[in-house]
Amino acid sequence: MTNDWLDIKNSNCVLIIGSNAAENHPASFVWINKAREKGAKLVVVDPRFTRSAAAADFYAPLRPGTDIVFLGALINYAIQNKLYQEEYVKAYTNALTLVHPDYKGPADLDGYFSGFDKDKKTYSSTTWQYQTEKVKVKVKGKDASGNEVEVEKEASVPKQAGSLDDPNCAFALLKSHYARYTPEMVERICGTPQEQFLEVAKLFCATGAPDKSGTILYAMGQTQHTVGTQNVRAMAVLQLLLGNIGVPGGGVNALRGESNVQGSTDMALLFNDLPGYLGLPSDAQADLKTYSAKFDATSYWSNGPRFFVSLTKAWFGNAATKDNDYAFQYLPKTSGNYSWIPLFEAMYSGKIQGLICMGQNPAVCGPNARLERAGLGKLKWMVVMDLFETETASFWRAPGVDPKSIQTEVFLLPAADAMEKAGSIVTSGRRIQWRPKVASAPGVAKEDIWIITQFVKALNELYRGSTDARDRPILDLVWDYGDPPDVELVAREINGYALDNVVDATGKVLVEKGKIIPSFATIASAANPDVIACGAWIYSGYFVPADDGEGKSLPAAKRRGQKDPGELGMYPFWGFAWPANRHILYNRASARPDGTPWSENKKLIWWDRDKKQWTGYDVPDFAATKAPDAAANPVGVGLAAQAGTDPFIMKADGKGWLFAPKGLSEGPLPEHYEPIESPVKNPLSGVQNNPVVKVWATDKGKGIGDNVSTVDKFPIVCTTYRLAEHWQAGAMSRNLPWLAEAQPELFIEISKELAQEKGIRAGEKVVVSSARGQIEAVAVVTIRFKPLMVDGKKIHQIGMPWHFGWQGIATGPVANDLTPHVGDGNTMIPEYKAFLVDVRKA
Amino acid sequence: MAKYGMLIDSTLCIGCRGCSVACKQWNDLPATKTRNTGTYQNPPALSAYTWTNIEYREVEASDRLVWAFLKRACMHCEHPACVSVCPVQALHKLETGPVVYEANRCIGCRYCMMACPFGIPKVDLNQVLPVISKCNFCADRVSNGLPPACAKTCPPGAIRFGERDQLVVEAEARIAKNPGKYVNHVYGKEEVGGTSILYLSAIPFDQLGLPDVGTESVPALSDAMAVVGTPTALVTVAAALMGAFWVSRRRVELASQQQTADLFSRRRAELADQQQTADQEKEAKQ
Repeated sequence: MTNDWLDIKNSNCVLIIGSNAAENHPASFVWINKAREKGAKLVVVDPRFTRSAAAADFYAPLRPGTDIVFLGALINYAIQNKLYQEEYVKAYTNALTLVHPDYKGPADLDGYFSGFDKDKKTYSSTTWQYQTEKVKVKVKGKDASGNEVEVEKEASVPKQAGSLDDPNCAFALLKSHYARYTPEMVERICGTPQEQFLEVAKLFCATGAPDKSGTILYAMGQTQHTVGTQNVRAMAVLQLLLGNIGVPGGGVNALRGESNVQGSTDMALLFNDLPGYLGLPSDAQADLKTYSAKFDATSYWSNGPRFFVSLTKAWFGNAATKDNDYAFQYLPKTSGNYSWIPLFEAMYSGKIQGLICMGQNPAVCGPNARLERAGLGKLKWMVVMDLFETETASFWRAPGVDPKSIQTEVFLLPAADAMEKAGSIVTSGRRIQWRPKVASAPGVAKEDIWIITQFVKALNELYRGSTDARDRPILDLVWDYGDPPDVELVAREINGYALDNVVDATGKVLVEKGKIIPSFATIASAANPDVIACGAWIYSGYFVPADDGEGKSLPAAKRRGQKDPGELGMYPFWGFAWPANRHILYNRASARPDGTPWSENKKLIWWDRDKKQWTGYDVPDFAATKAPDAAANPVGVGLAAQAGTDPFIMKADGKGWLFAPKGLSEGPLPEHYEPIESPVKNPLSGVQNNPVVKVWATDKGKGIGDNVSTVDKFPIVCTTYRLAEHWQAGAMSRNLPWLAEAQPELFIEISKELAQEKGIRAGEKVVVSSARGQIEAVAVVTIRFKPLMVDGKKIHQIGMPWHFGWQGIATGPVANDLTPHVGDGNTMIPEYKAFLVDVRKA
Repeated sequence: MAKYGMLIDSTLCIGCRGCSVACKQWNDLPATKTRNTGTYQNPPALSAYTWTNIEYREVEASDRLVWAFLKRACMHCEHPACVSVCPVQALHKLETGPVVYEANRCIGCRYCMMACPFGIPKVDLNQVLPVISKCNFCADRVSNGLPPACAKTCPPGAIRFGERDQLVVEAEARIAKNPGKYVNHVYGKEEVGGTSILYLSAIPFDQLGLPDVGTESVPALSDAMAVVGTPTALVTVAAALMGAFWVSRRRVELASQQQTADLFSRRRAELADQQQTADQEKEAKQ
């Protein structure tokens, strides 16, 4: 989240799209309801009338996979009706930046952006770049004799247009791009009646006023699509236009799906990342110098190389030196895409020997689950660490499987539950909270860090005495957490500490040897950053003793201070929000260019002229003493290259990107493409699907394989979702009697109209089939799903929860047997949310 | 001593069932085997093992869809019918509000089941000696200054626990502050003489599943009979019968006296006659 859970109460309009917050994050409704007590409206947009819709002031339906049309039309509505916050847009976004004259968009190229290579199925982003101009800057320096001289340096800066009407500026390109996204188009593609779309537009775009803020809450309904990343981009663009970023009650807010998935992405449990989102080096980045060059020199990311070095110092200690590029070669490099789907494709093709599966249940949660379970059967061995014997642990004796046919050796390691071990978890609002151990693990179940420590010990034993350079990463790994491992020692390393005295440019000692560092600013400002070990730069500060607002000093993440200055729900003395306890990101944007708040009722931080610093209710997400009128230094490094009016400090130009020159595979602006399995031809352009998405074809045509449902055989749109009563792949909830009692079986939700067409009555068993498999479920016939009129065609939709499997008290078929093995163009997250099926009575 | 209640604002309820699970956990109630019969509603109804339940109703209005969630449980009436009818006084209304019961005293007659206008008490037929059970407003928690388990856990804050009088004021304030949002009625304020559990709703209460039970308390009807009518009738009839008895006995007594008097006067007459005859005979001999 850019903001936080409690901050929702400060909003004037809460838009839930691609989320069912009432179902899956019921506690969020405390804050939503507090906002509504003050007059805020709750708007829900969803294919189905959910428990969130039941509580909403207004609900509008839309077809799964058409969010960009809906959001794009909101962008168009805001622009056409001049509801965007003009001063904010001009000052804080790249609206006025000029784009390459050869840039062309889908309006001109019938669905493509300029630069597409049809054979490689990739884009070159050359024509998406800014126009630049050279500026000459006089810089004070010293000549060879030590005399002060003024030297003229040249720098390249983005060229700015004179007004928003300049046809080549980002704003104009945005405007013409979304001019095609009309209310008529929304009705045609999404199936949303125009008046309903316009009501949503009226309610939400009113938050473009400086004294109003709107928040967008989203989850898998936005991300689990082949255009998932662009869905999120569309929300970001809308919020930038409305001036809703960096202000209380605003933001682009992901409702994370598990209590510590935020922590898992922060600590880079993803194949292509490093802790703190540094990015894992690729094969092409042969050394540290090349890798370091990828970090923007003119944003806070200019410190990226320093954070990388402190990471390898944490992992390899004295074995990481200047001479060996700080152990750069010890890290694996990405030479391809090893995300979930390619991983299971490789497994299915017999290319993977073994799998360690920690707290994961691919047998239930994986897309095209029959193919993925078959992939598990091709492994030589698999280790499952979990609280229960999950479907993954028992895949070899699933219903219909003959154990004799499976050669995989499966080890089940019982693991301790979250309550049975101490440690920290991070909320969606980036708030890190330390939790003590409150119960003992049953039997021989062990904490994860104990289990992993045993792996490390065993591997060290196996590799001992090896002279192979390839084995150094194991042998040089620093693992000094004690035996049994003390999680607080791990926490100290993640926070960062000094391996030796840390000094600044004058030689003054900033941090003594052995002490923890106060924040990542130490790494950024140190003259000798390579004496700092830091496991995750963004967390730095979280384990430093801090005041809890009531006189007690304890590690920041352990604090439970109740004070809330400003009463915005920030609770700065409770836990620690990364980075640096900043609760609302980009909060410089909550003040005008001159440093005064946009609005008294939305004030967050402001410039104190006397103290010459930013002050307010939040830690400034900005250089604390940088004046609002500070000029950018075009030849400066890092934030020096940004002005006092550049709130987006992690971007090279300090601006919020309406138009994104880089970072996305399929275009600088979100464009609607149909889900891979769609019932209609894309009415918007000649490009049916996201052109960069890989569609696998393993064993296509076979019983188990990457088969694609086509509308002739599978005319019904299907989506999957979650229930309040069950949890993800179901091991934790389907083993609890009270939850099994509440939701005992797999069911589908089906409209009255479709049920009537098929002769299906409520409570009857039905068979749902896709090109990849078929399952049986109970029919819940409901008015909350309705057929949609899409491009003149009546399209039926059904949905089902995906929690069920054959283990536990409440059992049922695996819904993911139906879902497709395709993923997003950037993140590869599977398209669980929109695919094609057929339904019939069982 | 404070008198507690709960205000359930069904417009804030999201049907998550945190309340029914918390209730089962606090009261150590077992789960039952259920099937999906085409609805989210499970368990299907209140029972000896399910003291509160969420009911799901879909209503299609002309301009919008409504999915209404009703938390059903004992209303903890101010004048409980169950307390009034229980022959062994197994049910009590505490001063603090909860209507509690002692399973030890229950004889399983189920009179309370018949009397309750909301159909709340349920019998546990799996016991050799069946007794009734129902929500007891977490009387053990309430008497220790804690809110009931359901109110404590409710994530969106739909269940508000507090002093009943204040909750009535709060409920009416919500209606006033949000014109058109709520049905203009606080269910439970006066229903059957007032209940501890109050409801607000956006749709008519009968569509939500709450019955129209009138404002007269159930015991008031039987109280009128039991406290006034029956004693009066008893006394009056007794007096009338006693009066009739006295009158009848007096008549008999008088009749008997008359009979005796008649007997004597006849005898006196007889004796007088005899004397006269004897006197006439004596005169004739001289």
